[in-house]
Amino acid sequence: MLLQLNHIYKWVKQGGKRVFLLNDISLQVEEGEFISIMGPSGSGKSTLLNVIGMLDEFQEGEYNFLNESVHTLKEKHRSKLYKEYIGFVFQAYHLIDELTVYENIETPLLYKNIKSSERKALVADMLDRFNIVGKKDLFPSQLSGGQQQLVGIARALIAKPKLILADEPTGNLNSKQGEEIMQLFKELNQEGVTIIQATHSEANAEYGNRIIHLLDGSKTKA
Amino acid sequence: MLKNYFKIAWRNLKKDKSLFFLNSSGLAIGIASCLMISLYVWDELSYEQSFDNADRLARVVLRGNVNGEELKEAMVAAPVAKSFKADFSQVKNATRLSMVYNPQVQYKNTSYEELKAAYVDPNFFELFHLNFLKGNPKTALENINSIVLSASEAKKYFGTENPIGKRIQFQDIEEALEVTAVLEDLPQNTHLQFDVFIPMQHNTRSTSNSWVTSGFATYLELQPETDLAQLEAQIPALLEKYIGDQVKQAIGISYEEFQQNNKLGLFLQPLTDIHLYSDFSPNTELSPTGDIKYVYIFSAIALFMLLIACVNFMNLATATATKRSREVGIRKVLGSAKKQLITQFLTESILTTTFATLLAIGIMALLLPAFNTLAGKELALLDFISVQNILLLIVFILGISLFAGAYPAFVLSGFKPLAAITSKVSRSGRTTSLRSGMVIFQFVISASLILATIVVYNQMQFIQHKKLGYEKGQVIVLRDAYKMGSERVNAYKEELLQNPGIASISRSAFVPAGETDNHLRGIFKNNTYLRKFFFYDVDEQYIPTLGLELIEGRNFSTELKNESDKVILNEQAAKILGLGENPIGATFERAADAENERLTVIGIIKDFHFKSLHSEIDPLVLAYNPYGGLIVKTKNADVAGILDFAEEKWATFNPEQAFIYSFLEDSFEETYRKEEKMGVILSIFTMLTIFVACLGLFGLITFATEQRFKEIGIRKVLGASVTEIVALLAKDFIKLVAIAFLIAFPIGYYLMQKWLQDFAYRVDLELGQFVLAACITLFIAMATISFKSIKAALQNPTQSLKTE
Ligand SMILES: Nc1ncnc2c1ncn2[C@@H]1O[C@H](COP(=O)(O)OP(=O)(O)O)[C@@H](O)[C@H]1O
Ligand SMILES: [Mg+2]
Repeated sequence: MLLQLNHIYKWVKQGGKRVFLLNDISLQVEEGEFISIMGPSGSGKSTLLNVIGMLDEFQEGEYNFLNESVHTLKEKHRSKLYKEYIGFVFQAYHLIDELTVYENIETPLLYKNIKSSERKALVADMLDRFNIVGKKDLFPSQLSGGQQQLVGIARALIAKPKLILADEPTGNLNSKQGEEIMQLFKELNQEGVTIIQATHSEANAEYGNRIIHLLDGSKTKA
Repeated sequence: MLKNYFKIAWRNLKKDKSLFFLNSSGLAIGIASCLMISLYVWDELSYEQSFDNADRLARVVLRGNVNGEELKEAMVAAPVAKSFKADFSQVKNATRLSMVYNPQVQYKNTSYEELKAAYVDPNFFELFHLNFLKGNPKTALENINSIVLSASEAKKYFGTENPIGKRIQFQDIEEALEVTAVLEDLPQNTHLQFDVFIPMQHNTRSTSNSWVTSGFATYLELQPETDLAQLEAQIPALLEKYIGDQVKQAIGISYEEFQQNNKLGLFLQPLTDIHLYSDFSPNTELSPTGDIKYVYIFSAIALFMLLIACVNFMNLATATATKRSREVGIRKVLGSAKKQLITQFLTESILTTTFATLLAIGIMALLLPAFNTLAGKELALLDFISVQNILLLIVFILGISLFAGAYPAFVLSGFKPLAAITSKVSRSGRTTSLRSGMVIFQFVISASLILATIVVYNQMQFIQHKKLGYEKGQVIVLRDAYKMGSERVNAYKEELLQNPGIASISRSAFVPAGETDNHLRGIFKNNTYLRKFFFYDVDEQYIPTLGLELIEGRNFSTELKNESDKVILNEQAAKILGLGENPIGATFERAADAENERLTVIGIIKDFHFKSLHSEIDPLVLAYNPYGGLIVKTKNADVAGILDFAEEKWATFNPEQAFIYSFLEDSFEETYRKEEKMGVILSIFTMLTIFVACLGLFGLITFATEQRFKEIGIRKVLGASVTEIVALLAKDFIKLVAIAFLIAFPIGYYLMQKWLQDFAYRVDLELGQFVLAACITLFIAMATISFKSIKAALQNPTQSLKTE
């Protein structure tokens, strides 16, 4: 088992009242799964991904990740955990504008204190695999949306995470580019990477082997 | 990883060029000013440090108060050195130096003037370890007919020949003096600025036993670990032993009685204190001294400049933090620890600071000559290049980077990753109020400096326009005319008077500004010692030539014989003598070698400022005794023509000597050169400080307008006018500047009050000066703000709305 959420509640106070962003979410994810989280805009998909990615906090419930109880961990330990095992892919790519393609992909390795020669080899492999060797010295602004997202995925994969969290990875792409990205996820999944993606496209959700429906922060039966 | 930090830092700096420019130019100006002033301060503090035993050398000085007359003299009586050495075991060695006035030497039919020569005791070089290029310091002045020269002085006479053994003729010394040693030129940072040393025996007064006369700079070499204060405490007993009898003889009372009403004593001053901590009357100092006050003032300015520049850096960095927040967020998501982000931001600040420092060194190299002229220094950048200083500079750069960069680094790296990515980082209250605090700080300093500049300027104007009681305009002083000899001077004077452009000529060596003779003589009334008065030896033309106002009695006259025991007093002297309603005809006595002379008052002149406005007007006696050079008052005529005429005639009387003249007005201004220079330096650094502060303000307003770009657009669409939008943007900043006044002005008031205390005659601090300072500051701030905000307000609103 990779991770487990037990009765997670997350809320914000508005005018003294609790507004629930996540309402009693329980979820168990095994290694090798490909899960799609579906729901309309504002239903809490991103919030849930962020909680799983340990970027966001929750008020109630338990969260275990690889047998560590995340909710009791200190910030430092927690960031070590996600640095090690989790990769993020964003809808808006979130590449660093000041860095080249190569450097963007390399960045997570820097933070893991990996030696320069090893870094070179790893990044080169990744560029090769995604067929973007020719673009390695370009800056994000010089790439198309699809290419940027490829770099985003490459960057998420470079540190060899167990889990990839993708928040509407194809949201800003046209359908052809979107399909390519989904195909890529499928391949990655087949290689053993666990993937959780948020999407509101039925077609994309189908790539996953399990679909979770969200509405107003609660899981619903589809 | 390190390389990576630098690479990223460099790209970031390149990306936001205008921010980088604002940051680094502000810092560069701050650093350049700071370094330049540091050189100056360093130099001021280095005085006498070139003597390896400086910490064991002390100068004997005299302080006292005799019947209300302050005495502060850096020279003491001839026997002091001998007695101190004999009586105090702590004194290892003692030596004396006295100046040779107007020395002249001759070598092979060429005569040389304008040399800096001193009589010194033969053991002088045992105390002052000067660098001997030739000759032996121990024996150099053993023989009475020896002379020691500096290298450049020797070169003047002998060129490349070996100076040792050469004989030169010294004015007023019968036998020629033989060069026994050559010294390396004395460093600039010592109060001993001499090129020629001759044995003390040639100064006839050096063997005097009198403790009452003075004229010898006296230095002691102390045993190691001597406590100065303890030694000083033993001096009164020694004085009583040696001068008790002399006091009784001179003024008729016992030493004890004398000390009851008066305070007079000798004190010790560490050699290294001479340059910065001396307040002795200038005519007893060997060379002009500095002032620790100015060292403090300039150090403070340097520090403030640097602080302001650093504050700019912090302000701009935190203000633009939101621009960087996305990057921070992504990096955090990608696994960056807080520490790594801090390192990243500090690297940027190190790069900026390094660049700024290099720029600053360039600026310094360019401006140092001008600064030297202003500060009267000969500082050279090259003299400061050493491994130690380069290390110091690196530490300095790191220090500044840390100081300026640490706060932004912590703020930026502390962003929560999610919020940062989605740009939800609000303009947090904490950083905004801190930023406001920093803007206030900058303008506190700017406004204070502007105020200081205004006050200094007012005081200088006040001095220039102060009624001095004499007329300094159109007065030419030919002080050196005395050198042609008394008869020829008089004949020369008659020749000059033929020129219709000349109103009057007086013969006197006493002038109220510039180089002058100075006589202080003891005054007795009814055979009781009163105090010392200044005496001016003048002729009957002195009062009209200088435009002094005779308020009672008569001037001297050539018709009457026996004017030599008649005197004219200033009001102050009459008051101290207690002459009351009918001063004319009153008498008093003046100390003289044998018997006191009796003098009769024939006139009273209005008090005039015969010394600088730093001090109150002292009692002054004009006595009839024409000698010295000439003082020429011209009519409102062609001054250049008169000078040509005077020079031409001069040549016929005195072909050997150069025609040297000065305008009294120039000499007057020279008196306040220190303050004037300080005024100029102050205004320059004030401008720089304001400029740097405005750079920061400019950066902040730029950022604020950028942030409110959309808001401005919407407001315009809704019908806001340009003025309203400028006001909207300016309001926040102007409020801060106003708060700055509230802090700046009390501080400025206090400090300027202190500065003015140096002048006995001074302007008052007035509301007007504060209002003016406020207006100037506000105007500058407003101009800076408007420049950017008007541009923003004029922007086409559709453009700003489209950007979202
Ligand atoms: N910090 C917050 N404060 C208040 N409301 C929030 C906050 N974060 C998210 N929300 C709200 O929670 C809901 C879920 O948001 P989100 O998870 O982004 O939905 P989705 O990704 O499914 O579109 C939305 O209505 C959003 O407005
Ligand atoms: Mg979302």
